[in-house]
Amino acid sequence: MAGPLTPAAGTPLREPAAAAATLRRALGGALWLGGVLARRALLLAVLLAAVFAAVELLPGDAATATSERGENAADMAARRELLGLDRPVHIRFADWMTGLPTGDLGTSARGESIAGLLSRPFPNTLLLGGLALLLTLVVSVALGCWAALRPGGPVDRAVSATATGVLALPEFVVGVALVLVLSLWTGWLPAVTLAGADGTPASWDMLILPVLALAVPQIGWNTRIVRAALADEATAPHVETAVIDGLTRRRVLTHHLLPGALPTITAGIATSTGMLLGGAVVVETVFNYPGIGSVLAGAVTDRDSPLIAAVVAVTGAVITLVLLLADLIRAWASGARA
Amino acid sequence: MKVNRRQVLLAGGAMGTAALLAACSGGTNSDVDSAARPGGGGRPRKGGTLRVGALGRAGAVTRDPHGTQANESDYLIIALVHDTLTAPGGGTSNTAPRLATRWEPSADLRTWRFTLAEGALFHDGTPVTADDVVWSLRRLRNTPAGASRLPGIKAANITADGPRTVVLVSDYPNAELPLLTRLSTFVLKKDTPDSALAKAPGTGPFRLDWFRSGNARLVRNEKWHGGEVLLDAIEVKLFESPQAMANALLAGQIDLASNAGAVAARTAERRKDIQIVRRPDDMAMPIVMRAASGPFADPRVREALRLCVDREAMVRQVLSGYGTVGNDIMGTGDPAYAKDLPRRTRDLARAKSLLKEADFDTAKTYRLMTTEDVPGLAESATLFATQAREAGVKVEVVKQESASFYADTWLKGDLYTTYWGTNDSVLFFASKTMGSESSQNEAGWKDAAFDAAYRRAIGTKDAAARAKALREVQRIQHESSGYLLWGVAEGIDLAAAPVRGLPELPGYGRVQLERAWLAR
Repeated sequence: MAGPLTPAAGTPLREPAAAAATLRRALGGALWLGGVLARRALLLAVLLAAVFAAVELLPGDAATATSERGENAADMAARRELLGLDRPVHIRFADWMTGLPTGDLGTSARGESIAGLLSRPFPNTLLLGGLALLLTLVVSVALGCWAALRPGGPVDRAVSATATGVLALPEFVVGVALVLVLSLWTGWLPAVTLAGADGTPASWDMLILPVLALAVPQIGWNTRIVRAALADEATAPHVETAVIDGLTRRRVLTHHLLPGALPTITAGIATSTGMLLGGAVVVETVFNYPGIGSVLAGAVTDRDSPLIAAVVAVTGAVITLVLLLADLIRAWASGARA
Repeated sequence: MKVNRRQVLLAGGAMGTAALLAACSGGTNSDVDSAARPGGGGRPRKGGTLRVGALGRAGAVTRDPHGTQANESDYLIIALVHDTLTAPGGGTSNTAPRLATRWEPSADLRTWRFTLAEGALFHDGTPVTADDVVWSLRRLRNTPAGASRLPGIKAANITADGPRTVVLVSDYPNAELPLLTRLSTFVLKKDTPDSALAKAPGTGPFRLDWFRSGNARLVRNEKWHGGEVLLDAIEVKLFESPQAMANALLAGQIDLASNAGAVAARTAERRKDIQIVRRPDDMAMPIVMRAASGPFADPRVREALRLCVDREAMVRQVLSGYGTVGNDIMGTGDPAYAKDLPRRTRDLARAKSLLKEADFDTAKTYRLMTTEDVPGLAESATLFATQAREAGVKVEVVKQESASFYADTWLKGDLYTTYWGTNDSVLFFASKTMGSESSQNEAGWKDAAFDAAYRRAIGTKDAAARAKALREVQRIQHESSGYLLWGVAEGIDLAAAPVRGLPELPGYGRVQLERAWLAR
């Protein structure tokens, strides 16, 4: 009877040397992956410690920041004790960190469960950031390729100049301009995002302006990266050979230029993830988008270290994942080409 | 309400939008026709959903009617679902009936008996009893800020006398006690556990349909004791920034932008389809001069600073004209406000001579601490500093972040700005911020004659004698307190054209939306 350990009949047995090499490579890959993950996790922990320390340095604390005029000193002291603020900051940090692996994000200064506070806003922010990332990817690759197909031509120059101009614009300037033109003047789109009964944006068209405001600067940045990577790749010998062989421009682009430029493009898009999530905080305020931006801004006002750290932790985890994915794509792309 | 720093950062963008809008709309600055004015125009119509934008922070959302409501959106929702015992009034009295229809003091003004409205029901159909009210008031009194919310009333001295009478006994005679029961005395069912607060039935004009992260839908309470409610529903939308709220109104996504502020009002001035609802005497933003110690302890110095300020210019520039000139008396919306006291105007020569007399050191630079907690506050400090310089007083404005301001400056600083939203009672301020005993004496000002006048004002039943005492309270305050009240800001709501019957009272009067209706 064929069990899981007995090779099925007909399966060609690998040569021992080749099998060992595969194993070695898999092991090496796993070690590399583990190393990267450990380094990123350590970095995140250091970052979270820095967040706790930074909040500690701000004037006032969670008890004073969330108090009401008229609360007396004794009540304040009682609340400080309730919030654990009478304990040194490193103990509070250690406490909070030990809860993390179990998914316990702690309690906010206002006594709410932090996991509960983030359960709706965070997916909303991920939706906003994810759509903006997708739009950035599609548009910047398309624009970069369009320009690269006609190097030095008017399209190339126009795309490059616009991209440079746009990447320098802060998200909130883009946001205010979009609201003005596409909503208040023309009435085409909703000016702000209103949340429905389930906490998500009440209609899909409310997503358009925030996604655009977030993506436009990143499109500018990535278009330039794509264009530059394609230009670099164009000087490679195999590309020149392909051109001399008389392949169509489109085929040269899709089969020779893009695969070579892939690692650079991936790195560019991956770095945009951080910028997109950072920009989301600002864009959410302009559009009243129900995401973590508002939670974070409020948490800073409240000196709410666990809540700020939780936002940093979940955002950091997402960015880490995307960077890891990008690393894998690059490793695969360069490995495939080697 | 508090505004976070990001909102202040974005104010630049807001200004830009306002300027562009002003430049692009070709229409002339015409008033909305009288039919569209709040409270007037047409026959009230039943039906419709009013979409209201209210400011708040998603992280500060609270559902506890007796908790700290930092968010206007939360307060609005709570105030529509739960009735208070009394409510802000207008006209000749600043206290109006709500869940209590009548109140009667004892001869010594210490015992007050409140009679509950006949037929008042909770949303689940059970009748409201005095026990429910007593339980709720005691719960309120036992919160951390309870002592300042119900000053002079011990929890044990809140009792029921029969099913429909609530008795409050004050530690001292208090003619203004019903005033204390206006703002946060939300009534819940007796023994409502903390875990059930979010869905606890109230007695208010609307009941909760759903609530999610500060946003809510409220539907009409058909059996409200206070009369017929016309709107089918009210949807409350939480806004982090006043600018986003104004944009939502201009784009037609909401019908009412509650407490939208002067910047938004300027933006809306050229839009014929937007009503600007001005609620006078909404917010006082006085400058506090420390009377207990320091460079401003000499009353002549404080007088000199009061004479430095160009009040008209302050109102025009800081409040965009949406406000009135103040006369250094807090509580300008009080029906008993002393309009006859001499109006202080700018007099630099007299200011200079007073400073000289008091031997005030004009070589030194004095720091004026301020925050950006409410719009216009930091601007008022800056403009005051410019004006004071003309009298030879060097003032440097220091902006503090809200938390550090309350930790380090408030109640302690020599010179700082503050703000108060309950601006319709002279005695509110006298008891809270100026009496020798008061825990929030912002200027550390103590005056025996003032205390005596205050005690007479709250301890005298005879109306004429009371009025005399009230005037005396204001006269002494006008002459020597630690406050420089240059003006009072109007509360500004923006509304779409079809909205009618909006409240025009200052402060928390703005949440009384039960009479609103839609003409469409």
